[in-house]
Amino acid sequence: MLILAFDTATDVATSALVWDGEVLGELRSRAVTLLEDVDALLRRGGLRDSQLEGIAVGTGPGSFTGLRIGLATARALSFALDAPVAGVSTLDALAAGAPGATPVIDARRREVFTLVDGDPRVLPPAELDLVAGSVCVGDGAVRYRDVLSAAGASVPPDESDAHVPLARFHALLARDFGPAEQVEPVYLRVPDADRTLEA
Amino acid sequence: MILALETSCDETAAALVTDDGAVRANVVSSQADLHARYGGVVPEVASRRHLELVVPVVREALREANAELGDVSRVAVTRGPGLIGALLIGLAAAKAVAWARRVPLVPVDHLQGHVASLYLGEDALEPPFVCLLASGGHTLLLDVRERGAATVLGTTLDDAAGEAFDKGARLLGLGYPGGAAIDALARSGDPDAFAFPVARLPGLDFSFSGLKTALLYTVRALPQEELERRRADLAASYQRAIVRALVERARAAAERTRADTVAVVGGVAANSELRGALPGAVLAPLDLCTDNAAMIASAARYAEPVPYPDYLGLDAYA
Ligand SMILES: [Zn+2]
Repeated sequence: MLILAFDTATDVATSALVWDGEVLGELRSRAVTLLEDVDALLRRGGLRDSQLEGIAVGTGPGSFTGLRIGLATARALSFALDAPVAGVSTLDALAAGAPGATPVIDARRREVFTLVDGDPRVLPPAELDLVAGSVCVGDGAVRYRDVLSAAGASVPPDESDAHVPLARFHALLARDFGPAEQVEPVYLRVPDADRTLEA
Repeated sequence: MILALETSCDETAAALVTDDGAVRANVVSSQADLHARYGGVVPEVASRRHLELVVPVVREALREANAELGDVSRVAVTRGPGLIGALLIGLAAAKAVAWARRVPLVPVDHLQGHVASLYLGEDALEPPFVCLLASGGHTLLLDVRERGAATVLGTTLDDAAGEAFDKGARLLGLGYPGGAAIDALARSGDPDAFAFPVARLPGLDFSFSGLKTALLYTVRALPQEELERRRADLAASYQRAIVRALVERARAAAERTRADTVAVVGGVAANSELRGALPGAVLAPLDLCTDNAAMIASAARYAEPVPYPDYLGLDAYA
């Protein structure tokens, strides 16, 4: 199965072209230039977009705007190319790139997105459930290296690939390709205006 | 055929327009009800909704036009100005569709889009003319000498006219969007009941903040029971002041540029008093006043298409 995978939920937009588990190409840039990478991946692979059999997209959590660029792109591509879509958690993709590690994505406002018992959560970095020997990866782990280290965890060097949700992992984790509109973003936060309304 | 997308504020819209300006479909999914509870457009709420609606409106436009993507020779999209997070959703979807079909993308300026709402259909307007663009986000006087280009003669120094309507409506305890609410209530009120000031600025610029403050003080000074009773008079007088400012400036602009024609576009062009106060003016059709994608497709007919693959990295602007 020829899968186009991408993730724009973090500052580094990743994309990959994967054929039956074999990574044909992989690129990274920013969310607004995602399609340049997608175009380059296909051209370098000598492939046509009509040959794509599935689109795997990162569903976050992460930057709301980045996330929406990825999902709008996936939904529109799916519509125009008639290709099914599968959503993959950005946290799961990060974890797949560093087995055993805790994925930690910067959620701004002094909080991080992470997995708690397999479910995505947003919480302050100091509240992560870490033990001595824990490894943390992701842009949140880089940003809060001091807090996490103090709690006994280790964080790979800043420039390590382990901090980037590489799209090859989205392609490998993708299951249940189906209608694009069923792939929803994982925001984990309600809009501020709703919080004000409830208060 | 041109497929156009518009997501700059709180309307998710798609349209199909032929190369000679015939509107084959003009689908607008308004979020007004969604934002009414906040009393205004909330960018994050708007963006979440745009993502849900952006492909469905395209699908609906194609269905209405009885067309398919294969009939589309260009994709047009609003690049700005507007809410950046909202614009990026339309832009991402437009780029993806254009790329999948390998057709050119035409990035359109939202304001040029409003002006281009005059270039559609049977009685398309021919420049030169002076254009008053009044909406929730903008109040501009434009000197239009050719399609696809315009020179700004004047703009608002503070609130946009539509914003002034919204804020006034809130002060009067009316719903959102405020323009329609004030327009409706004003019909049963006396426009001369209260003398609200029209800002006297040199040149062709606008200012509505003084007017808004005047309304606030008037509302505050009235006892609750009298406020209830005179709400329609307040709405009518407030509306009269906004319309007077718009009309005076539009006339002055026409005089200055020696233009024979004044045209009015944008959401405020739907206001009934404004439509009545400018006899002889060309008014955008009602369904093309508020944000829509047909006007974006119309503007795309006079804008430079960006060929594949040059548009793939295109960014929006606020
Ligand atoms: Zn507008």
